[in-house]
Amino acid sequence: MMNSSLLTPSSSSSHIQTPATTTFDHEDFLDQIFSSAPWPSVVDDAHPPLPSDSFHGHDVDSRNQQIMMMPLNDGSSVHALYNGFSASGSLPNFHIPHGSGGGLMNQERQTQTPSQPQASASTATGGTVAAPLQSRTKVRARRGQATDPHSIAERLRRERIAERMKALQELVPNGNKTDKASMLDEIIDYVKFLQLQVKVLSMSRLGGAASVSSQISEAGGSHGNATSAMAGSSQTAGNSNDSITMTEHQVAKLMEEDMGSAMQYLQGKGLCLMPISLATAISTATCHTTRNPLIPGAADVGGPSSPNLSNMTIQSTNTTMGNGNGKLKGNGNGMIEGSSSIAVKEAVSVSKP
Amino acid sequence: MASADKTINTDVPEKDVFAIHFLQSLSNLRIQNLFNSPDTTNYRVRKIKKAAYVSMARAAGGTSRLWSRALLRRAAKGNNKIVRFPRRKRKVTWKISSKRRRSDQRAPVVEDAAERLRNLVPGGGGMETSKLMEETAHYIKCLSMQVKVMQCLVDGLSPK
Repeated sequence: MMNSSLLTPSSSSSHIQTPATTTFDHEDFLDQIFSSAPWPSVVDDAHPPLPSDSFHGHDVDSRNQQIMMMPLNDGSSVHALYNGFSASGSLPNFHIPHGSGGGLMNQERQTQTPSQPQASASTATGGTVAAPLQSRTKVRARRGQATDPHSIAERLRRERIAERMKALQELVPNGNKTDKASMLDEIIDYVKFLQLQVKVLSMSRLGGAASVSSQISEAGGSHGNATSAMAGSSQTAGNSNDSITMTEHQVAKLMEEDMGSAMQYLQGKGLCLMPISLATAISTATCHTTRNPLIPGAADVGGPSSPNLSNMTIQSTNTTMGNGNGKLKGNGNGMIEGSSSIAVKEAVSVSKP
Repeated sequence: MASADKTINTDVPEKDVFAIHFLQSLSNLRIQNLFNSPDTTNYRVRKIKKAAYVSMARAAGGTSRLWSRALLRRAAKGNNKIVRFPRRKRKVTWKISSKRRRSDQRAPVVEDAAERLRNLVPGGGGMETSKLMEETAHYIKCLSMQVKVMQCLVDGLSPK
């Protein structure tokens, strides 16, 4: 045991003489302690160069800041040590933990707040002892955070990025995502969408039908319904009549059960319903081709009425609804507003919730 | 680190500034008299698109924004024109190559999204992530402004 080896004067010559005497040599005393104990620290800077048996890898400075706690049960021996220490340094309230088994508090090593109970008391003493000792002390870390400059810089950087992402979040529509990854995806898609919009708008009044559809079909982009609207126009431009009739039948079937679902189906395809009279008006007013205006969509692509919006006039509506006019049922954003403006605008409004 | 801006400045000019620049570029195009032959539809479309971007870059602040500088430089290179940029103070001079190597470890989610953004936003290749996001915000605002202008034009010019 530590106590016995310390106190028995007869084991070796380097032992301290007696606990009672206050005139023992400090060097020998500390030598004794260090050679026998596995504690890698010393507190006194009055004895700077110390044998480094048990603490390899520690420099002198770090040693100076460490506090050694003595797990001594014997009060008298503690007093002896206390006298020894107090001769060189001041330890006003040296708290001795009983039977604590050598809890060592190391200022240097720990970046987290110590969780040991005796550590708090010893930090108080450590503060008083270490105050004259400091030649190089680090900033005491807050709980759970590191102190080295790299991580501080890293933290700053992340804060800046988060701040900017918040600013971006307000710009992008549908920016209520809390997840950072999905928010970034939204941002990227929105930029792509805006660039595509510029491209489409620069074609609108100038490009012919063929170029519009070809350009649009090669464009990527997946932003909301806008691109599906554009894809719809390219599809109808290239579609055969069979698929169109199939769509028509599908829509007619849906309309028998629920008008809303039919409109949603159309909207998903990027199409919408319009009264036949309007469709004929638009196509005859602007279309150069002689195609049958009842054939959906492609005829109107080249004109000022949007390249992006395909009109699908369903002939079967007349019969199913028993109405000679092909009357529309109003349903929010899906319908043509009767203007010839480009459906990019409508596509934008479609994509909004 | 770089200067700490408390509030990031992403103001863009009003719509009329964009409109004026775009109309000027369109009239310049018209002077070149391209619009006769329908065979060159693609060519016309591309010219108009390029004119739109260049006018947007000019309206948005000319050479005082990174993305607009890059855009103008790219456009000028295509025309084999020599563009002179005013010397601007080099405030931040990170070398992106050294930053990139370490940045892969930093929040890889953010970083590979930043890669994709760099491909989209002009001039993004030389920017750090935080600067990139600032530029993206300004770029988005300018793009939406440009889209509104073009939309209004098309609406106004299309026959009823």
